[in-house]
Amino acid sequence: MIGREFQFFAPVELEQALQLLAELGENARPLAGGMTLVPLMTLGLAQPEAIVSLNHLKGLEEVRDGGDCLRIGAMTRHATVERDPLVRLHCPPLAQAAASVGDRQVRHRGTLGGSLAHADPAADYPPVMLVCGARMRLRGVAGERVVAAQDYFTGLFSTELQAGELLIEIEVPKIPPDHAHSYLRLQRVEGSFPIVNVAALLAPDLSLAHLALGGVGSTAVMVDVAPALAGVINNAALERAGEAAYAAAKDATDDMNGSAQYRRAMARLCAQRAIKQALASRP
Amino acid sequence: MKQAIELIVNQQPYRLEIDTRMVLADFLRDRLRLTGTHVGCGTGSCGACTVILDGVTVKSCCILAADADGCAVTTIEGLSSDPRQLHPIQEAFVANHGLQCGFCTPGMVLSALQLLREQPDPDERAIRHAIAGNLCRCTGYQFIVKAIQAAALTLRNRR
Repeated sequence: MIGREFQFFAPVELEQALQLLAELGENARPLAGGMTLVPLMTLGLAQPEAIVSLNHLKGLEEVRDGGDCLRIGAMTRHATVERDPLVRLHCPPLAQAAASVGDRQVRHRGTLGGSLAHADPAADYPPVMLVCGARMRLRGVAGERVVAAQDYFTGLFSTELQAGELLIEIEVPKIPPDHAHSYLRLQRVEGSFPIVNVAALLAPDLSLAHLALGGVGSTAVMVDVAPALAGVINNAALERAGEAAYAAAKDATDDMNGSAQYRRAMARLCAQRAIKQALASRP
Repeated sequence: MKQAIELIVNQQPYRLEIDTRMVLADFLRDRLRLTGTHVGCGTGSCGACTVILDGVTVKSCCILAADADGCAVTTIEGLSSDPRQLHPIQEAFVANHGLQCGFCTPGMVLSALQLLREQPDPDERAIRHAIAGNLCRCTGYQFIVKAIQAAALTLRNRR
């Protein structure tokens, strides 16, 4: 049982939800899958005065083909993202990231949008969002705006989302079929947050070579390794790419999973592995 | 605050007024007296509170009971209508020493059920992956895996 009393609303229309959030103000919290918020409320670490559940909204739980991008409703559960044929075809690293979240039960309930709104610095999705150049569709009563992933994550558990605004859809550009890609995470045990995670996206001629690293600072960081690789993959090029990742991980901090120095060393190693893994799976 | 909810639990419809602060696990245990759903950590780590919500396993300590309005829930009690006739997965746990203290067992059995519905012939790796969200403090994982393998065989042979 949660300690503090709160009002509970379960609107079925998005507009109703936005209206409620606008009326209730800052002390109301939207509730997606609840895999983080409900335990925080049980522990008394979050004490909202009102909960607006998004679990009964219609139309926010599907993956659609948007031509050059996938349009994924924010309430799409991790398990759906993991198995969706469109995601698996056009953005395999996103399916891999979804498959890595928590455990089976958590993936059945937790949502893509909920995870992105929570913005844990070691979450599975942010590196994939960054390398793919995803866009977040945010809506409030005043209207809608689209924010690039690069600008969306603003700090530790912080995003561009303003009070009263909801992340409603994630637009993920399709990865061109000739591009190499990978997602990997360094973890102690299955189901734990990664110590470091990396997504990679590489054009065939390496003119585009992006990595994004999670777990090494307050938000995931993007690393352009095209200059380091300079069009070739050999030991020296990988060494340079690893150095670029090491440099990008400068804001890593200590926690129970490892020291800042360990994380930076692992960022270097994981970056190199991500490049090799991407190239090994190249079509 | 009070909230009226309607839901189906183990094929039985209920309409009750609940406190919005109640999580689904508390509702099942304290209101419906279905105490087979266990609460270990209360914060989504241990999986003892696993139930099936609208066809998929979830952790009932992390879902507000008010949010389960309109849903169908299956708890461990719903696996068999007759207490003398266990579900084949439960039988396999008994036969293979798949439980010691038994606290994690309801969640383990439901996670096994979810797995075997999707994958009738899982290898050991798939079984371990499927129960990654269920912790056994007795650390009896070897026999739990063995029990799920035995249950898979029984269920396959029945088809």
